[in-house]
Amino acid sequence: MSDQTHMHVEHDIAPGDEEQHSVGARILGYVVGLALALLLTATSFFIAGTDLVWQPSIPVALIVLAIAQMGVHLVFFLHITTGPDNTNNVLALAFGLLVVFLVVGGTVWIMAHLNQNMPPMDQIMPMRN
Amino acid sequence: MSMTATAGHAHADPHHIGIVVEHPGPAPKRIVTAYGFWVFLLSDIVMFSCFFAAYAVLAGQTAGGPSGSEIFEQRNVAIETVCLLLSSFTCGMASIAADTHNRLWFYLGMAVTCVLGLIFLAIEFNEFAGLVSRGYGPSRSAFLTAFFSLVGCHGLHVSAGVLWLLTMMAQVFAKGFRVDILRRMMCFALFWHALDIIWVAVFSVVYLLGSGA
Amino acid sequence: MPAVRTVEPMMLGKLDWSAIPFDQPIPLIAGAVVLVGILGVLAWVVLRGHLPYLWDEWITSVDHKRIGVMYILLASVMLLRGGSDAIMMRIQQAVAYQSQGYLPPEHYNQIFSAHGTIMIFFVAMPFVIGLMNLVVPLQLGVRDVAFPTLNSVGFWLTATGALLVNISLVVGEFARTGWLAFPPLSELSYSPGVGVDYYAWSLQISGVGTLVAGINLVTTVLKLRTRGMNYLRMPMFCWTTLASNLLIVAAFPILTATLAMLLLDRYLGFHFFTNEAGGNVMMFMNLIWAWGHPEVYILVLPAFGIFSEVVSTFSGKALFGYRSMVLATMAICIISFMVWLHHFFTMGAGPDVNAIFGIASMIIAVPTGVKIYNWLFTMYGGRIRFATPMLWAVGFMVTFIIGGLTGVLVAVPPADFMLHNSMFLVAHFHNVIIGGVLFGAFAGFEYWFPKAFGFRLDERWGKMAFWFTFLGFYVTFLPLYVAGMLGMTRRLQHYDVAAWRPWMLVAAVGMAVLTIGVICQITQLVVSIRNREALRDRTGDPWDGRSLEWATSSPPPVFNFAFSPDVRGEDAYWDMKALARKQSLEHEGPEYHDIEMPRNSPTGFVCAFFASIMGFALIWHIWWMVILGGIGAFATFVVFAWRDHDEYVIPAAEVARIDGINLEERRSLVSMAGGV
Ligand code: HEM
Ligand SMILES: [Cu+2]
Repeated sequence: MSDQTHMHVEHDIAPGDEEQHSVGARILGYVVGLALALLLTATSFFIAGTDLVWQPSIPVALIVLAIAQMGVHLVFFLHITTGPDNTNNVLALAFGLLVVFLVVGGTVWIMAHLNQNMPPMDQIMPMRN
Repeated sequence: MSMTATAGHAHADPHHIGIVVEHPGPAPKRIVTAYGFWVFLLSDIVMFSCFFAAYAVLAGQTAGGPSGSEIFEQRNVAIETVCLLLSSFTCGMASIAADTHNRLWFYLGMAVTCVLGLIFLAIEFNEFAGLVSRGYGPSRSAFLTAFFSLVGCHGLHVSAGVLWLLTMMAQVFAKGFRVDILRRMMCFALFWHALDIIWVAVFSVVYLLGSGA
Repeated sequence: MPAVRTVEPMMLGKLDWSAIPFDQPIPLIAGAVVLVGILGVLAWVVLRGHLPYLWDEWITSVDHKRIGVMYILLASVMLLRGGSDAIMMRIQQAVAYQSQGYLPPEHYNQIFSAHGTIMIFFVAMPFVIGLMNLVVPLQLGVRDVAFPTLNSVGFWLTATGALLVNISLVVGEFARTGWLAFPPLSELSYSPGVGVDYYAWSLQISGVGTLVAGINLVTTVLKLRTRGMNYLRMPMFCWTTLASNLLIVAAFPILTATLAMLLLDRYLGFHFFTNEAGGNVMMFMNLIWAWGHPEVYILVLPAFGIFSEVVSTFSGKALFGYRSMVLATMAICIISFMVWLHHFFTMGAGPDVNAIFGIASMIIAVPTGVKIYNWLFTMYGGRIRFATPMLWAVGFMVTFIIGGLTGVLVAVPPADFMLHNSMFLVAHFHNVIIGGVLFGAFAGFEYWFPKAFGFRLDERWGKMAFWFTFLGFYVTFLPLYVAGMLGMTRRLQHYDVAAWRPWMLVAAVGMAVLTIGVICQITQLVVSIRNREALRDRTGDPWDGRSLEWATSSPPPVFNFAFSPDVRGEDAYWDMKALARKQSLEHEGPEYHDIEMPRNSPTGFVCAFFASIMGFALIWHIWWMVILGGIGAFATFVVFAWRDHDEYVIPAAEVARIDGINLEERRSLVSMAGGV
């Protein structure tokens, strides 16, 4: 054999599986996840209805809260971590998110511009019924 | 099997650090199955993203019909959300019970998940039926089209999830915690949690942002 | 349920005798010929007692090699159907100068719509998916794909889609909307018939099949590789398979969603793309092309992989710039999601948007160019053998460069404003799809045929097929560039411009030459089957190939490899195969182990059966049948989930016997030749 050391690594873990934990620790994980999710949800609902914050900041806040909550779900319920045994799962997720971002972002961007360059529809031919 | 000397160090060790991490061979079935399902979920999320995009484009097109803020009821949405979040939690408990082969907790966890899912569906159905009866069905305007499709698509997924959930319970009842059934249980849990993630996007983008508008 | 807007009290929904076009001889005769063909084959199968064999060994098979072969068979048959459409259109445009030609407009419209739909979804897709299915597990050194039964489901759903499209030939009509069914034309108000429904449901059903195949192959490549098969030791074809299937998984859901929206508009009166109530037709273009552009790379990436294998094998050299090739593949995989607007520059998104997407489109030509250079440098200094697969590869390089260059040309927005929807565009995409995808499929067919069936294909007829197809292609499609420059738009049923006429005549002649090519290809198959004993491949490695599929016998046993190859060599290619061959030849009997293989399953076929029923019922609004089909599909699913034994064991002794026979033969050849 050559001068190289051949190392055999262990396999990845399945998406959704956790590294070895006791039942107590696993339950605790879900409890924490649930608590955080409920907290974030409550915040979202509160912010959406309140007059206490600067109004234009509300949409931004809602989106940030939603993304945070998705993160909580991913970590505490789907057990997606940054560990090396999770690389494949995270890469797939990243690819999916990239596509989601491109499709949604691209569509909104493109469609907004199409509308901008149109003469106002309801003025040239009122079609509403 | 001992190997004879091999030619060249071309590919596996580009930086010549002397350590080659050897691929250990085909992954165990649990990983293969779950990974395949994970990839499916991502594709499902891409599908949802199209309905989100359509909603974003059409949300303002009310065609003289009602806008979001006129028809959304935040209290219902809040109850729906709590149902789903709790059901994600109980689904997690059922997974743990399945892994530890605890039938009682498994059935309990799944049953509660099922009930919560059904409550969610009932509220949603109620909301839809109410809108349609007021003449605000999906063919009223492009906004309502997009709204019904997006939220309804999620609802259909939850319905499919409930069917799957019942099948899982029946399977455990008939066959016990066999390895292949545990694999399916894992996929089911992934599915259920993923639906929750999509719901987070739905209530934030559709209901909360929409009722502000 | 959906019965809200249909009031037909009839049992058969919209279906009645008027659906059969008794007054139109062409589809009737074509349908009759197909029907007689199918019945003839069926009768032959039953009378000769082949039905059990067909059922056990093919229809219910979950063996990736068998499924791959069935995909390719489906693609080949559909190629003949799509090709007939093409011949009819070329003749029409040759004769329809200042006259109506021989095809009525509504019929001509159906033909070009069916042609495009069939060629993309039921020729190109199944062909490349079939080749990936057949080869990738072998190249990875494993026994099967990740999900064998689902693999069979995927195939049969694709076949269902093809079946529905062909049923439309005689029962009802096909869409007249083009292969992408743009609204508002495809909306109910302008296309009240069942044509668009045939189109949409076929694609929905086969789209599910494709998605399943994509998930399966992604998981196979990422999770099932033999020991030591590190990522950077995978053959190039496995890389392009990975990229292509990642694109399937990410893009096909977009198609599904878009068509679902169109169907909701048509069936339930929704307003996604209607002109009324705030719907937006332009959103359809946007969404469908967000799938459509990745789709062209789904098709062409596997072809790139095939060419990589073929070029390096027949140049007797390792692929030049393997790593840059991997990088280029993955770059294409990502960038192909950022260019879709170039299909509708003229829709008026304004200079900012057009410029960005135009630039992105040109950028994608860079990794493609890298690939071309890599192939050229692989050939440079190699000992090149011009066997048939290599001819297709070289023909591809020349042709694809032209297609790519015209692609970059139409990616310049101002140029595209002139060329959009012209014959120039038609020439461009045939240039890349025929010159890239189809040539690739043929190269792969010629290259891996011996692996799949154990005998080589006749070289003489193969070369003739290549030359006729190659020349025929140029004679058919170069004139279309010119016609496009002269202002001829696409999809014309007849025309009055004298300047276009000669080019249409030349194109018709080219079509005839192409047809000869196809006939040569069929002859090659027949001749080779006749001479199969003389052409038999006893070594399992007829081309002196460079990857693991050549390390096992041809055709490989069900389990592919008696011993999982252990890949330790640092060279990703040739050493590895030589080593694996040596390992397998050196093994002695007693070490064999039992092998577990997935059991055959009728799930795929039964699923497809119910899907066909459901699809047909949906198209014709026969609601009770829809429900019946749905219940059947769910029952199939539960029965499948309920079964207790999904694997069977091939005992070690049997493995030893099968492997023994192969080894004996190969050892004797090796000792004759004096080395591996
Ligand atoms: C070098 C990279 C390529 C570039 C820059 C490019 C660019 C374009 C552009 C700008 C269009 C739209 C033109 C118009 O509608 O006016 C187009 C159409 C098309 N291209 Fe390409 N292309 C490339 C490669 C490919 C490949 C590799 C394929 C297939 C394997 C392909 C298949 C198609 C098809 C099917 C259409 C037209 C479909 C339709 O409108 O019906 N292209 N291409
Ligand atoms: Cu494109």
